[in-house]
Formats: sequence, structure tokens, C-alpha cells
Amino acid sequence: MPKDVDSDILCFLRKSENGLLEIGYTVRKVASSQPLVSEKISFEVFGSEYSDEDLIYIHKLEDLKKRYTCVRRTRGDGNCFYRAFGFSYFERLLQDKKELQRFTDVAKSTRDDLIKLGFPEFTIDDFHENFMEVVGKLESEFTLTELTDTFNDQGLSDYLIVYLRLIVSGFLQKEAEFYTNFIEGDRSIKEFCNQEVEPMGKESDHIHIIALTNALGVPVRVEYMDRGEGDQCNHHDFPDGSKPGVILLYRPGHYDILYT
Amino acid sequence: MANIAVQRIKREFKEVVKSDEAAKSMIHLDMGSSENMMELTGTISGPPDTPYAGGTYILDIRIPETYPFNPPKVKFNTKIWHPNISSATGAICLDILKDQWAAAMTLRTVLLSLQALLASPEPDDPQDAVVAKQFKENPDIFFQTATHWTQAYAKGSTPVPEYSDKVTQLMGMGFEEHKARVALSNNNWNVECATENLLS
Repeated sequence: MPKDVDSDILCFLRKSENGLLEIGYTVRKVASSQPLVSEKISFEVFGSEYSDEDLIYIHKLEDLKKRYTCVRRTRGDGNCFYRAFGFSYFERLLQDKKELQRFTDVAKSTRDDLIKLGFPEFTIDDFHENFMEVVGKLESEFTLTELTDTFNDQGLSDYLIVYLRLIVSGFLQKEAEFYTNFIEGDRSIKEFCNQEVEPMGKESDHIHIIALTNALGVPVRVEYMDRGEGDQCNHHDFPDGSKPGVILLYRPGHYDILYT
Repeated sequence: MANIAVQRIKREFKEVVKSDEAAKSMIHLDMGSSENMMELTGTISGPPDTPYAGGTYILDIRIPETYPFNPPKVKFNTKIWHPNISSATGAICLDILKDQWAAAMTLRTVLLSLQALLASPEPDDPQDAVVAKQFKENPDIFFQTATHWTQAYAKGSTPVPEYSDKVTQLMGMGFEEHKARVALSNNNWNVECATENLLS
């Protein structure tokens, strides 16, 4: 979803009374007044934005309800994948101290990797220290409310997003030889990172998800709720066959968080 | 939000002051008259072996409240003849000042990138179409024009007597100096075309 849009129009096809196909639409609000990360909301509330006539989505929502209990929305500002991933994973770390210990070590090592790749110490240290400070608070200091408040403070939240973007960029550049095969056009990995990873508001694709999950060792499941055929949402685990600790819902152009 | 921007600019200010490039007088950052640090003045020197060599270029830098998540707004205050910089407004066409800005970049990065832009123009992605056309079709005239502008506006010391004479000639006809220079530059220094242009 592009930056700074106030609403996003979802089009769908439906059969009109005389049997012809016609185009229907629903308007999905993504006003900047929407929280960066919402409270948990039920599927009833979540689904209310879809028209009853939008059968593909209605069926897929029913399917999700069987497997998940609720959703947290994120703001559609182009950073939603990172924000959804970051919040969902940190929320889990509040409970899982063993995983927190592992993650702290991994996160610490990302700083030197970035410096080795030639990122400027001056700014990397700033973002790294801030990131580690928040990770440190997950040990005992933070309640879920404080975590939610941090992710909804635009400045603090974006600081974390920047560092997650840097981790993705660093990982892709470190493994450039392999990932260069997945870049469209004749761009180098470095150019791809400068254009599609590091700037705020640039949307994430499979390659970004693969990079982040591999760099941090955090498996992710994505449930796809799109206009594809069938009554069920397809899902994909990154990496294949893993046991995901973070589950995200993807609708074209946007990621939200799912809860079992 | 604004607080993050101010803290960051304060640190960046020190970075530029202490940098090797500042020591060599290649770049400079000034707080100007603004007390809130959101309006700054940058200075870069024209790179050697370019028509901008010997010139000093002043840049207006405005820091948005959402800095460093959004790029600083930068434009040339000193008039310059360059395909990627508007000769009329000083507006700059540079990817890192637009959609390729990243929060890990700094004002030092911006000043150095602008200096690099002076050394390697990209006429296929122009800000000033007239300059870009001249750069591609009449590279010699472009080089001389840019050198002349450097002397006229950026304290450069390399004169281009032929061009200065033509500006003086038009001024003798009652035209204002800058307008005369623009008309001549836009018309590849053809005095007749420039005059026609000024009268139309």
C-alpha cells in the first residue's frame, strides 16, 4: 500500500440481479489516525469492513476463524510487515525468556555485521543501541501495555523499524551471491537494498521476509487472504517446514497480526 | 517526534564539524539564524576538474519534523548551471533526497552526495531540461556556460571572456544582467536568439 493514503478501495466482482458480472467495492480506511498497532480485535469487527456480497473474502474469513481467535491491525504505511513482525515477536518474547536470551545474542551481533559491510557507525550505533534498549526491557521491565505504547509512539516505533530494515539489508548484502538471483531487473543487491529495503515506507516482498527470518532465526507463517480461488486461506511458512513463532495475515499490500 | 529530529541534528552537526571533509574545507554546515536547528545552511566547494571548480555553493537545508525518517529538504541557494539542478529555483533532482532516503544517512552524506553530483551529472534524469539538452548536444558550450556561471555566482575565478562580453552587450541594450545571462545560456550564447527571447 502506498504511503500517505487515506483509504484504499477494494474492488470485487459480483453477480448483479440480471445475472451479469458487475464490479462492487468497499472502502478500507487506513487514515493516519489509525493506531500503528491496534488492540486485539475479534473477527466480527475485523470482517465488518467487507460487504456481505464479497463472497470470496467472507468464506476466507470463516476459514480463518476456525484456526485463529483474533487479529491485531497495523497501519498501512508501507512499514506494516516490519511493524507486525516486530510487535508480534516482541510480544512473544515477553513470555519466552529462553528465546529472549537467544535473540539478544543474535541482535547484538547484527551491529558488527553492519559495520563490516560499510554502514556508517555514527547512525548504526544510534539505531542499534535504541533497539537493544527496547529488547533489554522485554526481560522484566515491560508490560504488554508498555510494549503496545512503544510501538504506537511514532518516533520510538519507527526507530525499531529502521533497525529491522537495516538487518534485512545487511543480511541480503552479506549473502549477496545467493540472493542476487532473486532480484528483478539488472539491479545489484546493494542497489536493491538502497531502493527497496532501507527507505521507510517501502513495502516488503518474499525476499524481505526470507531475509529477516533467516537473519534473526525467527520463523514466520503468513496466511494469504487474497482473491485467489477457494474458500480457504493458503499459508506459507518461512522457512519451509519450520514451527512459526510469528503469524501474519496478508491481504494484498498489507500485513496484520494473527493469534491462535 | 520533533525531539528526535533535534537530538539527531545536534549530533550530526558535530559529525560534520569534526569530519575530514570539513577539515579540508570541502563541506561546511552552519546553523544560520535559526535557533531551533530546523533551518540550516550547508556549503560545498565545487569539485576539481569540473566547471564548478573554485566555486562555493550555499545550500538551504530544512529539517522536517519527521527527520531522520524523512529526508531533509535541500535546494541550492547559489545559482548553478547543472542538468540535475534547476537554474531558476535551485531545486535538486537526487534520489537520496526523494524516495531513496534512509534514516541511516546524515547531512554529511547529503553534502558529499551533492558534491559527487556536481562531478557526475545525470542528464537522463534531469531537473532542468534545457541544461540537460545542452549537456548532451553541445558539451563544450555546456562546460563553458557552467564555468561562466561559477564565476558569476559562486565566486569562481575562471573567466569566460567571450560569454562575459555577450552579457555586457545585452546589458548595454538595457536588459538586466541575470536575465541576460539566462537568455544567452538558454540559447547557446546566440545573441540574436537571446535578444528575441528577452523581448518576447
